[in-house]
Amino acid sequence: MFDRNNQSLRMRPGGKGSTCYTYPAAPATPGLVTADATFQRGIYMNGSLTMDDGRRITVWGFTDGIGGWRKTAFPSPIIRVIEGQIVHTVLRNSGMFWLHTIHHHGIEPSSENDGVGHYSFDLASNATYIYQWKASHAGTYFYHCHTNAVLHVEMGMYGGLIIDPPEGQGTLFSGGPRYDLEVMWVCDEFDSSWHRLRWNAGSCGADVGLNDLNPDYFIISGVDGAQSALTAPGVAVQMNRGQRLLVRYINAGYLPQRINFGGLTASVFMSDGRPFPKPIQVQSLESSSAERYDCIFQPELPGRYIITVEHLDWVSGNTIGIARTQITVS
Amino acid sequence: MKRRTFLQKSMAGVAAAFAGSSGLLTWVPRVQAAVISKTFYITEGYIKQPDETQVYFKGFSSNANGLDVPGAALIVQEGDSVEITIANTLGSNHSFVIDGMVDSGIIAGGQTKKIRFTVGAPGSYLFYDKLAAPYNRLVGLHGGFAVMPATGTNELYPGSPTFVQQYLWLINEIDPLWNTQIEQGVLPNTKYKPRYFTINGRSMRVPGHPDYGNPDIDAGYNPDTRLVGSIGDRTLVRILNAGLAIHSMHFHANHVEWLARNRQIRADIWEKDSLLLPNNKGSLDVIYPFQPPVDAWPPVTTGHFPMHLHDEMTQTAGGGLYQFGAATTISFK
Repeated sequence: MFDRNNQSLRMRPGGKGSTCYTYPAAPATPGLVTADATFQRGIYMNGSLTMDDGRRITVWGFTDGIGGWRKTAFPSPIIRVIEGQIVHTVLRNSGMFWLHTIHHHGIEPSSENDGVGHYSFDLASNATYIYQWKASHAGTYFYHCHTNAVLHVEMGMYGGLIIDPPEGQGTLFSGGPRYDLEVMWVCDEFDSSWHRLRWNAGSCGADVGLNDLNPDYFIISGVDGAQSALTAPGVAVQMNRGQRLLVRYINAGYLPQRINFGGLTASVFMSDGRPFPKPIQVQSLESSSAERYDCIFQPELPGRYIITVEHLDWVSGNTIGIARTQITVS
Repeated sequence: MKRRTFLQKSMAGVAAAFAGSSGLLTWVPRVQAAVISKTFYITEGYIKQPDETQVYFKGFSSNANGLDVPGAALIVQEGDSVEITIANTLGSNHSFVIDGMVDSGIIAGGQTKKIRFTVGAPGSYLFYDKLAAPYNRLVGLHGGFAVMPATGTNELYPGSPTFVQQYLWLINEIDPLWNTQIEQGVLPNTKYKPRYFTINGRSMRVPGHPDYGNPDIDAGYNPDTRLVGSIGDRTLVRILNAGLAIHSMHFHANHVEWLARNRQIRADIWEKDSLLLPNNKGSLDVIYPFQPPVDAWPPVTTGHFPMHLHDEMTQTAGGGLYQFGAATTISFK
């Protein structure tokens, strides 16, 4: 699987020794069968996100459909399937020379379909691979690029992944709680200085500062948490008393987070796609990178509940940034 | 076998050969308490990092002429009598501490001290030097101390889920500037910016790198670190954090059963793929079940997968070199 003579590596020599530790290939999927659900994904690397202060930050991601090139959504479009289905995630690495993969985080497929370059391959430029996997456990997951992941995930190459139980949407897992409406809060921090790097920065030996994350923006589901996320459709929630809201919370950043539910109590039923033996009731949660928690709210009092996501320094534990959204109960 | 290269400070330029065992714990359950003896030599030297930088360390070493970072892991049983002899070969003061169990007090430069204690409650502990905290701990003076329950079975604590093998992973991050200042005898006065990230003193290497596959250098192949099992080989992993940073442990191919954090036994065992590892001597105890990867189609029972920290800055070395950080391999035989 390792091919140092790949043209892309010659085109993009690295730092010391010009060796880039990438593994371009485009094999056939072992044991390919007909899928129950298929998702086409291409690549965009020219997206931008306008922050509340007016700055535009470069973002990369996956397109809906294999065409690629143009940003369709950030975060990347959700993959949503039903427990028991055989799934194909078809990645077309539509680009000139860069390498990417899809790792379905929390999904546990074979090595070939796990999307980790140095254990299998980075998908070669202009090649296509069909990641084949079976959706075995209902719950909340996400998918992200695992090529030079330290940079590519920071650049925004991730999207939500939901497995519904056979009962379908409205039930968290078989035997679990029902919900009337749902929202996914994908909480991330940006260090805008990283967003000017090339796709392989950090793969070729040079010191590009990827050990040192100094975030200056804090976002919820692709929306600046300084102000916009307070009202953004699809992030901020409007609901009625008596309704049951499911919040699928994902720590998509690298730093620890503390999410505070603004006085509401969450019944947390599962994490990382596995139900708890018994749910817990909390008013805040601490998480580390890539954890997911599924929280049910059934507010009894009308009002505006401000949700804060505190991003914590990994050494001091101090809050270094806050993103906010809200739940409005009528 | 090429040993991990390090340079004894007193013999600069001369590579010495020694590798301590630090991770995979060999244990035969027994019903009687025992007397456990161990000698550590406090030594210093340099260890080459993935970007070729030589970084200064101190260690609790098993040999007066060696440098072990971390020190060899000890596994004992609740109620055992332990005798630790510490020979401080350096000129600076050091100590040997296990929180809640033993504190040697100051062991002056050149001094040898024997400490005795009775082993306390089961769980995963750090032994470390608490002087000049946290610098002596960070610069390498730490190791794992695993306490088995006196039940005579492979449990983390009496009544816990059982396992068939156990590993110990000691996580650390390294700011070489701090290590250099410690070498010079001054307390670090710069902002902490770790540049290397290790499990059991080693970082990952990947295909194409000359040290890829070298069990004494590559954290993915070091036998004390690399998880190896067949289907059903339930594996206890004791994870200890000697460093200053909070981390996220991410397991591929299986969820783990989360038994304890900071030695607090969890009332409910959750199955997790990503877990928060507290900093400053924090710990996690998990069981990796070695079940067939549940979402594979067609089904598989073999394969190689990573366990890596998901705070991805830890997956770099020297500010770049993605994949050369704190990670290892999970091998389904």
